[in-house]
Amino acid sequence: MVESFFDKKSGCLTIQIEGRFDYSCHKMFKEAFINAVDVTSYDVDLSKVTYLDSSALGMLLLLRDYAGADKANIRLIHANGAVNDILKIANFHRLFVITE
Amino acid sequence: MEQVLTILIADDNPSDRILLKAILSQLGHKVIVAIDGQDAIDKFDPKAIQLVCLDIKMPLKNGWEAALEIQQIAGDLFVPIVFLSGVSDPIALSKCLRIGGIDFISKPYNPALITAKLNAIVKLLVMQKTLEEQRDAMSLYNEQLLHDQEVAKVVYENITHSNCLEDPALATIHYGTQTFNGDVILAAYKPNGGMHLLLGDFTGHGLSAAIGALPLADIFFDWTKKGFLMRQIIPEINARLKSILPANMFCSAVFIDVKVNNNSIEVWNGGLPDLLFFSGSSRQPIRFSSKNLPLGVLSPEAFECQIDPMTFVPGDRLMAFSDGVYEALDLSGEMFCHSVLNPLYQGEIEADRATDWLIEQLRNEGVLENPHDDISCLNIRLDTNIGIDSLERDAPKRHHETPANFSFEYVLYADSLRNTDPLPYVLQILTTVPGLSSFSSQIFMILSELYSNALEHGVLQLNSVKKSSSEGFSQYYAEREQRLSDLVEGYVKISVRVTSDNNQRVLVLYVEDSGSGFDYQKVNYDMSNAELLYNRGLALLDQLCSKLEFSKGGSAVTAHYHWQVGLIN
Repeated sequence: MVESFFDKKSGCLTIQIEGRFDYSCHKMFKEAFINAVDVTSYDVDLSKVTYLDSSALGMLLLLRDYAGADKANIRLIHANGAVNDILKIANFHRLFVITE
Repeated sequence: MEQVLTILIADDNPSDRILLKAILSQLGHKVIVAIDGQDAIDKFDPKAIQLVCLDIKMPLKNGWEAALEIQQIAGDLFVPIVFLSGVSDPIALSKCLRIGGIDFISKPYNPALITAKLNAIVKLLVMQKTLEEQRDAMSLYNEQLLHDQEVAKVVYENITHSNCLEDPALATIHYGTQTFNGDVILAAYKPNGGMHLLLGDFTGHGLSAAIGALPLADIFFDWTKKGFLMRQIIPEINARLKSILPANMFCSAVFIDVKVNNNSIEVWNGGLPDLLFFSGSSRQPIRFSSKNLPLGVLSPEAFECQIDPMTFVPGDRLMAFSDGVYEALDLSGEMFCHSVLNPLYQGEIEADRATDWLIEQLRNEGVLENPHDDISCLNIRLDTNIGIDSLERDAPKRHHETPANFSFEYVLYADSLRNTDPLPYVLQILTTVPGLSSFSSQIFMILSELYSNALEHGVLQLNSVKKSSSEGFSQYYAEREQRLSDLVEGYVKISVRVTSDNNQRVLVLYVEDSGSGFDYQKVNYDMSNAELLYNRGLALLDQLCSKLEFSKGGSAVTAHYHWQVGLIN
C-alpha cells in the first residue's frame, strides 16, 4: 500500500508505505512522485513498513535521482527496528536524512 | 458475434432431426446428421465439429454413452455437447450435466430458444478458443525464454566462474531462486600471491540482477590479474556499475584481499551483513560491519573506500554472507539475524564447521526449499600459502626469445605517491619482454615488496615493529593513510634495466627512496620464524632474487633477477 499527501504550503510531498516495501510497490511508489508537481521536499514515511528489501532501496534511489540526486531534499521518517537496520547496513544515512 | 459452426446432430426420430437441422441451417450453421448414437460417434471429427447435439434415447448407443465416447475422442479439444430431450425428468437431466453436457434443448423445438442458446454457445467457444491460443502462445514464449536463459546462463557462468573457487581454502554456499542468481562469488589469485574475493548481491533476482555481474566480474578478474590493488579495483567497479545500471539497481558487496606477504586481510564492506572473523585469540568472532554504500550508487567523485585491515594466523577463518541468509525467515517467522544466527555470533559454533552448520540451519528452517532471496555464503580458511602454489603454475615452458635490451626510470613525487600505484604499469612494460611474462608473478612480488618498503619505511618513515600485534597492525595502516595524505615532499625512484647475453637474461631493479635508510646489516633472512609479522618481505626477496644489494645507507636497493632462454623444461 502506497499513499501520498501533498502539502501545498510547505511544498512537501509525503509518501507513506504500509506493510512490505518491496517490488510489488514499485508502480504505486513511482506514480506517487512522478505525478506530483511543485514539490520542493519529500518525506517518505516508513512507520507502517514491516519489511524492506533491496528493491525498496532501489526505489528510494530512484526517487533521489528524480528529485535531483545530490540536490534532492528527502527525509526518511519513522524508520524503526528492522527497517532502520537495513538502511544502516546499506549506509543510506549518507544519502538521506533518516529519522526514527 | 457472427460465427459459422459445424454442428453434429444425432436423433433417431427423422422428423425431429429434420426440423432441428432446418432451424440450425437457417441460422447459417453447417449441419451433419446422425441417426443414432453409434452413427454420431462414427461421424464425429474433433477437428471439424465444434458442437454436438445428442438425443438421449437412441438405438445402438444412447446419448449418454455416445457423449462419453465423443469426449474421449475429442481429448484436449473442447467440443461442447448439448442434449436434446423430450423428457423433463430431473434425474435424467442432471445425469446429462454430470457426464459433461453443457446444456439441453427441450422438445418440442422452439426456434427462439434455440437461437438464444446457440448464441451463448458461440460466445463460449470464442472465449475458449482465445484462451487456447493464449495458452499456446505463452507456452511457446516460455519455451523460447527458457532456451534463451540457458544460452545466457552458459555465457554468464563462463564469465563469473572463471575463478579459483575450488581452492581448498574456500567453502561456499550458492542457492538461486531462479535460473539466474543475483548473487555472485568471485575469487582470483593475485599475481604476487594471496587472493582477491568478492561476494556481491545485486538488487532484485533473476536475469535483471545477474546482468550487472558481467562487467563486475570482468573488471575483477582483469584488474586482479594485472596486479591492481583492491583500493584501485573497487572504485573502478563502482564507476562502471554507476554508469551502466539504472538508478534503482546497485550491488551490495564485500571485497576481501588476502595478503600472504604480511599475514593480513583487508575487508571492504558495502551494504552486506557483518563479516565474521574467527580467530583463536577471541571466543566471539570479530565483526566487519558495512561502512560503505553499495557499489553503483555513488558517483566516482563522491565514492569513498573505507577498508578494515586485520592480521591473521594460519587457521583463522573469515565468513561472509548475503542478505538471503541474514534476512531468511525461520519456521516461526523470525529473521535469521535475530534468531538462528545468534549462536554463530556468540562464538558457539566452531568456525571450521560454520558453513555446514549454516546449510543445516537453512534446511531445517525450510529456507532452502522455498528461498525468497538468493542465498550465498563464503568461508575462507586463512593461511600463508593461499595463492602461492598457483605461482608455480606459471612455470616457464619453452623459450625461443629474441634478445631484449632496454632501461627506463620512473620517479614518483609526493602527489603521485599519494594518488597512483606505479606497479601495474611497470609490470606491463616488463611483461612485453619475450620470456619474462612467464615469470611475471615472481617479478611482481619483487617489485611490490621493494616499492612498499621504499614507500612505507623510506618515505613515510613507518616502523614495521608496530605490525607485530594485530592492534598495532591496524594502527600501522591508519598511520600509513594519514602520513600519505599529509605528504608534501619525498620520492621513490624505480629504475629498470633488462640486458641479454647469449642465453642469459638479466633484469635489474633499482629502487631508491628519499628516506634516511636503515641498518641493513641487521636484516634477518631467516624465513623459519614465521610468527614474525614483519621483515618477511626481505627474506622472501632474498630467495627470489639471485642478488640483493643495499646502498646509500639502506635507502636504495638493487635486485638482480636472472633467467635463461632456449631451455625446455
